[in-house]
Amino acid sequence: MNGLERYLGTVAGRAVDDLARTPILMQFAAEFSGSDYGRFAADHCVLVEANVRCAEVFGIDQLSCISDPYRETHGFGGAVTFVADGPPRSTQPLADTKDLDTLAVPDPMGSARMLDRVRAVERYARDHAGTYSLLGWVEGPAAQAANLRGVITFMFDLMDDPEYAGALMDVCVETGIAFARAQVAAGADTIGIGDAIASQIDPRTYEALIQPREKRLVQAVRASGAFAKLHICGNITHLLPGIADLGVDIVDVDHMVDLAAVRAAVGERVVITGNLDPVSVVRNGTPASIASGVLDAYERAGNPYMVNAGCEIPAGTPAENLAALCRPLPYRA
Amino acid sequence: MSVLRELSERLQRGQAKEVEALVQQALDEGETPQRILEDGLMQGMGVIGERFKANEVFVPEVLIAARAMHAGIAVLEPHLVSAGVKARGKVVLGTVKGDLHDIGKNLVRMMMEAKGLAVIDLGVDVSAERFVRAATEHDADIVACSALLTTTMTEMRHVVEAAQAQGLRGRVCIMVGGAPVTDAFREAIGADLYAPDASSAADAALAHCAGRAS
Ligand code: B12
Repeated sequence: MNGLERYLGTVAGRAVDDLARTPILMQFAAEFSGSDYGRFAADHCVLVEANVRCAEVFGIDQLSCISDPYRETHGFGGAVTFVADGPPRSTQPLADTKDLDTLAVPDPMGSARMLDRVRAVERYARDHAGTYSLLGWVEGPAAQAANLRGVITFMFDLMDDPEYAGALMDVCVETGIAFARAQVAAGADTIGIGDAIASQIDPRTYEALIQPREKRLVQAVRASGAFAKLHICGNITHLLPGIADLGVDIVDVDHMVDLAAVRAAVGERVVITGNLDPVSVVRNGTPASIASGVLDAYERAGNPYMVNAGCEIPAGTPAENLAALCRPLPYRA
Repeated sequence: MSVLRELSERLQRGQAKEVEALVQQALDEGETPQRILEDGLMQGMGVIGERFKANEVFVPEVLIAARAMHAGIAVLEPHLVSAGVKARGKVVLGTVKGDLHDIGKNLVRMMMEAKGLAVIDLGVDVSAERFVRAATEHDADIVACSALLTTTMTEMRHVVEAAQAQGLRGRVCIMVGGAPVTDAFREAIGADLYAPDASSAADAALAHCAGRAS
């Protein structure tokens, strides 16, 4: 089986040869390929080359477009600056005003940073369609709202002015849908939705304001013909009932969450990926401890499952550790 | 219900307006500013800190409770000043260079303020030199550094070194924290204090300042 077959088989709930491997790479891939994180985030050619090289060297089944949280924010009018050894910095267009009309209207094919991501998908599709799964990426409603307002300000919005917070997230969902569609049209088979900040929100607010908007985004992604994958870093145990109701195909799980609890919540259809501790196990552990970590995770999650750390593979991870994470592990019925 | 008890409970629910009114009511009823601060406001914030630690409340709820506390303190401030109540210590706080995570740092600030410490918040992406400059400028008791990334927690070592270079090591306590930071790491870089969460950070900071004062 090639990467795409393994990936599609897993999502469809079929038996595969080995477990699919879908680690999240950003700074690691940039540096492994001899570039830096700044150029990786700024130029899709660097991003594509870095990810393809890692996929070939480590045996990864998916090529990803994820780079940093500020693609859409740039489209909304944020000023983005690049940093050599870290993710880009961005201003927050709504830091000092609640007026949604002051936002630029992002156009996936017109805004430079959004278009750059669409170009990455196109390039993957041109050279690697049929071999690897191709992962597009959009920000989830809460994450994007926090990018526009500032995290703390947005959290106050959620508590003080739920109607406004909802309207703001609606704008974010519209953009997310348009951006997702552009990436699917370019060849992505899966769209990842990153909504990191949701892990910090209480379950009631999540259920009332965030979950329904995530759900709308998920439905639009699936209606466009792609799989939907949710990624919320941090502890999501308190959000599991809502997450189970989103209708996603794949859910990434961070290391502080019990995979068995996730399986119990999401049922037998949803693919679980995760959840080795990115720092203490993947970066600072040994190939042997990583191998046993993967076995444990698979054991607790059960099928359908894909190998992944809880979040991004950190910069500075020894290559042999990522190799250990990606070492083929037979699928068990 | 006693007014201080109600004050604490309204604060825990983040009801700033009610907190303001209750502080005024308590003053009118003859409570001392010190007691209103400690048994009303700080007590309520302490409960929120513990409940946050136990995953019973989440960040937004802590934020609005802290805002309510500030609203109450604003009413109380002139009375505290005339009663001679002073800050219990001074902390310079920030997230280290290269790191933009500030939710945890902000919670640390709120819990420290809730213990009566004065906090100078330098924000995120703060260089070692800025930490040390601010510590000198404000004559701080503690420099508290937050880091959430493995790649940036090493910056804390630079803060220790910069304080050393400026001859501040004997005078200023360096406190470190953030998810990837451990007590073993603190020891390895020669910092003085570590705490795993915001409430413990505030307790440790207060204990340090109290030890100094006595
Ligand atoms: C929210 C979040 C973000 C937001 C940050 C928004 C903001 N303004 O803060 C955004 C989306 C911007 C973000 C970006 C990134 N993030 Co981030 N993020 C998180 C997340 C989900 C939650 C962090 C958080 O706020 N926790 C809640 C607070 C309350 O907890 P806390 O910070 O630990 O603070 C508590 C204690 O540690 C302590 N404490 C904190 N500071 C201090 C200081 C002192 C002195 C003391 C005593 C105690 C103390 O008290 C606090 C309260 O009890 C975590 C995952 C997780 N761990 O949950 C990842 C995480 C921290 N992020 C991670 C990464 C890799 C990144 C990025 C590099 C991703 C990328 N490639 O773009 C960027 C880096 C940006 C940068 N340069 O800083 C990794 C870090 C891995 C590592 N250890 O190196 C994590 C752990 C995710 C993961 N599992 O891999 N992130």
